[in-house]
Amino acid sequence: MLRIHNLYKSYDDLEVLKGISFELARQEVKVIFGPSGSGKSTLLRCINMLDPPDEGEIFLSGQNITASGINLNSVRTKIGMVFQHFNLFSHLKAVDNVSIGLRKVKKLPKEVAQKKALEALDRVRLKDWANHYPAQLSGGQQQRVGIARALAMEPEVILFDEPTSALDPELIGEVLQTMLDLAKSGTTMIVVTHEMGFARAVASEMIYIGDGVVEERGTPQHFFTSPNSDRVKRFLNQLNTLYGTHEQLLQTGDEENYK
Amino acid sequence: MFQTTPTILEQFIIVLGYWDRLLSGFVVTLWLYGWAILIGFFLGLFLAILRQYGGWFISRVSTSYIEFMRGTPLLVQIFIIYYVPLALNFPVGSWNFKTNFLLAGKNITIVLLNQQILAGIITLGLNSAAYQAEYFRGAFMSISTGQLLAAQSLGMSRFSGIRNIILPQALRRVIPAWSNEAAYLPKYTVIVYFIGVLEIFAQAHNIVAITFISLPTYLIVAVIFLITISIISKLLDIVHSRTRIPGL
Repeated sequence: MLRIHNLYKSYDDLEVLKGISFELARQEVKVIFGPSGSGKSTLLRCINMLDPPDEGEIFLSGQNITASGINLNSVRTKIGMVFQHFNLFSHLKAVDNVSIGLRKVKKLPKEVAQKKALEALDRVRLKDWANHYPAQLSGGQQQRVGIARALAMEPEVILFDEPTSALDPELIGEVLQTMLDLAKSGTTMIVVTHEMGFARAVASEMIYIGDGVVEERGTPQHFFTSPNSDRVKRFLNQLNTLYGTHEQLLQTGDEENYK
Repeated sequence: MFQTTPTILEQFIIVLGYWDRLLSGFVVTLWLYGWAILIGFFLGLFLAILRQYGGWFISRVSTSYIEFMRGTPLLVQIFIIYYVPLALNFPVGSWNFKTNFLLAGKNITIVLLNQQILAGIITLGLNSAAYQAEYFRGAFMSISTGQLLAAQSLGMSRFSGIRNIILPQALRRVIPAWSNEAAYLPKYTVIVYFIGVLEIFAQAHNIVAITFISLPTYLIVAVIFLITISIISKLLDIVHSRTRIPGL
């Protein structure tokens, strides 16, 4: 569904992406991880063309979105994005944050957009907070509004750029749980994260990016039992020491005690 | 023939006897101020958007305009705008648009528009735009670029993002800083006195010429400005708190 072929991107003299390729099938969840500065965020921004790559091609449902003359605005409606720092619109209530794209981009009538926005908020369990402004919400709630905002546009794929790394530890769980629910309901996702518990639970493939190239890829099983490269091994060990896996935060079964 | 000098109180009363002149001058001052701040607002907003989001060339053009207007004396600007068309023999002609009414037994005539007033409004508007643009730019910069990225990630064009996301927040945030311009500008309008517009300062000058009472006259003018600007500030405070974003 999404095919990324040989992406290159530099900022001045700094080469950030050095030929990245991978493909993503419908309903797949791909986790991208690696040391900071290795180009993960740049890669996501290239994928939705907020920061177009210097070289290489990206095909979304067969359409080459890196070709010249493509209407990028309409391409971006098909690629949702969730940001590390949420980037909610501070002057709008939660529900309006979610509905503004529907109104201004998809040109839906106000009532329809409102209804869809409430449905999206319901999916992230924030329906009761619809009339709060971003500054009145906790970080975890803000990020869930961010997820609902992307979700409401009904994109073909949602990109998550370190969605939990700006959050206080006690707020990470609710966001991961929301993402887990989405993954299980068949949302196609690319997630840049260091949450290995999440990766283990839902990733169909993990990609380790180091120095702007795909250094190693494989199933979570592969990475957690026998990664090939020593760098990957060391990195995973560091993550485990620093953050743990947060596995206890995730309820992968159908327990109902999550609120 | 040997008139005694009037006491201070009497001097104030004599000057206030010319209230019709003060009133008509005050109306002209407010009229100039209103147009100048309005032109400055829209042109300033436009300049700020061009400077902040316009790309290399357009941004330079906008910056040059702002620096020229802020870097040259207002008096020179008004002379250029008023005298250059005359020097080039443009058919500016002599015309005016005035209003006439009777108030408390006095017949008051106020010229609202003639070539001098028009030159004044244009100059003050163009000049204020440069200052207002910088207040707006400051407000734009204070809003995280992430919000514009988020808007674009939803499929909004850059323009739509600026219009729907940045602008509503910037206009709220700019009010405290912008109130500086709103408070300065009424006093800057005094500059049109130099091209012969009968605004409040020119009228005060005339009253002094008639009565030879100077300090009380100018004190009265000062009090009129003080009251006017206090009201403007208060109004802006109200607007600021009414448009506050909850939680911020």
